[in-house]
Amino acid sequence: MIQLYHVYKQYGAEAPALSDVSLEVRKGEFVFLTGPSGAGKSTLLKLVFCAEPASAGQILVFGRNVSRIRSSGIPYLRRNIGVVFQDFKLLPDRTVAENVAFPLEVRGQHPREVRRRVESALRAVGLEHRTGKFPLSLSGGEQQRAAVARALVADPALLLADEPTGNLDLDRTVEVMALLEGANARGTTVVVATHDRGLLARHKKRIIALENGRVVSDGDSIRRAVS
Amino acid sequence: MHRLVHLIRRAVDALRRRPFVTAVAVGTIFVAVLLTGVFAAAFTGAQRLLSAWARDVPISVYLASGADLEQARTRAALVAPGARVEAVPPPEALRRLRASLGEEAGVLDGLGPEVLPASLEVRPSGLSLAETRDLAARLARVPGAAEVDYGAAWLERLETLLRRGRAVGLALIGLLAAATAVLVSNTLRLAVYARRDEIDIMKLVGATDAYVGAPFLVEGLLQGLAGAGLAVAVLAGAAVALLPWLRAAVPLAARLSRADLLPNGLLLALLGGGAALGLASSALSLGRFLRRA
Repeated sequence: MIQLYHVYKQYGAEAPALSDVSLEVRKGEFVFLTGPSGAGKSTLLKLVFCAEPASAGQILVFGRNVSRIRSSGIPYLRRNIGVVFQDFKLLPDRTVAENVAFPLEVRGQHPREVRRRVESALRAVGLEHRTGKFPLSLSGGEQQRAAVARALVADPALLLADEPTGNLDLDRTVEVMALLEGANARGTTVVVATHDRGLLARHKKRIIALENGRVVSDGDSIRRAVS
Repeated sequence: MHRLVHLIRRAVDALRRRPFVTAVAVGTIFVAVLLTGVFAAAFTGAQRLLSAWARDVPISVYLASGADLEQARTRAALVAPGARVEAVPPPEALRRLRASLGEEAGVLDGLGPEVLPASLEVRPSGLSLAETRDLAARLARVPGAAEVDYGAAWLERLETLLRRGRAVGLALIGLLAAATAVLVSNTLRLAVYARRDEIDIMKLVGATDAYVGAPFLVEGLLQGLAGAGLAVAVLAGAAVALLPWLRAAVPLAARLSRADLLPNGLLLALLGGGAALGLASSALSLGRFLRRA
């Protein structure tokens, strides 16, 4: 699903954000990407969904080398990837339903089909009673559930979540993680970047740890450590 | 079909969400199209008046002494079919000159008709200035013709003046269009910038540049059409309101109609030009943004 070979990413003259990163995430896996702030977690996710190019190395997503994908082809790759951010990235002047409908509308789906799938996605995250509300009138947990609904509404093969619970209390964190695990159980490959050790301790998943842009461990050793 | 409906709905929705930016863009295009229309109407009107003037100007063919007046009239009638050709022998020419001088006719006392040449007076109907010029050239080849006069000097001076004015006007319209495109493009760039979060999210979920850009182009087109449509309506209204005054003030304009000043083709061109201006401005601002995004 995702393969990185000796990937480097450098911004200007600063120290590399990623340095010689090689890893593989297989189809159907649930992987935590962890490490302290500035370790390179978000940068790695950005490279995977082609928000930025790697400075060196090869990245394969769905078996395609992303450095060889023309800019006009990137949107089509992204249609198979759902992304969730810590700050939700919901448009404040659109209703919850309109925000969730975005990925379907850009695919040119029929409005009837869009309505049906949006309702279904909002029901799945428990927001069916909030469809006409604007994001700022929702709680943080509800906003993140709406963002998860948007990421999953088009049934992506891959879900990337960058600190999805960073702004949430424990109860809301449990809710959002349940949604991500549910998507994984239905076949979606999930990669969650987090520095929350409690989260890693509660969920028995593969953990890739980054530090100063390098992979320092890959497996469940960290969970054992944090436990 | 639903994609087109969705696209138009997105564009109209965006216009509704940003009434101030929409008003500025529509207003700027309105002013540019209005100024262009006023200029074009003034020139079209001036050209119509010049043509009307040229139509009323008789062509005088002065014959050399001893030329056969009747033979010249017959040949002139052949050269200018449909025109009224009148032979003016010297005594008639002198009588007309006296009549035209009125109280000053005394200055001609003592002169005989032999001082004036025989001439032909040709009154073509409905000819343009260029056609009048061609006819005068053909009449100059009539046997016995010595000189042809159709008020060429002042008519041609006026025509040259109009031609130069049109060239300057076209250059000014070009500059005005460019300035408007930059102004509207900067206004729309603000609108694009204000929606950068929306654009970022659209691109994040797999929107192509065409999907992101199409509503902005439709917005530009609609703003252009609205601004130009408003300007065309104001121009047509002003022409209808001012024509009675113009007809009363300038006798040659007596038969001038709204279509003479602002032909339908010109109104359509202004409408199309405004729409193209809105579209170009939008494409310019969007191109800059998408290149950076």
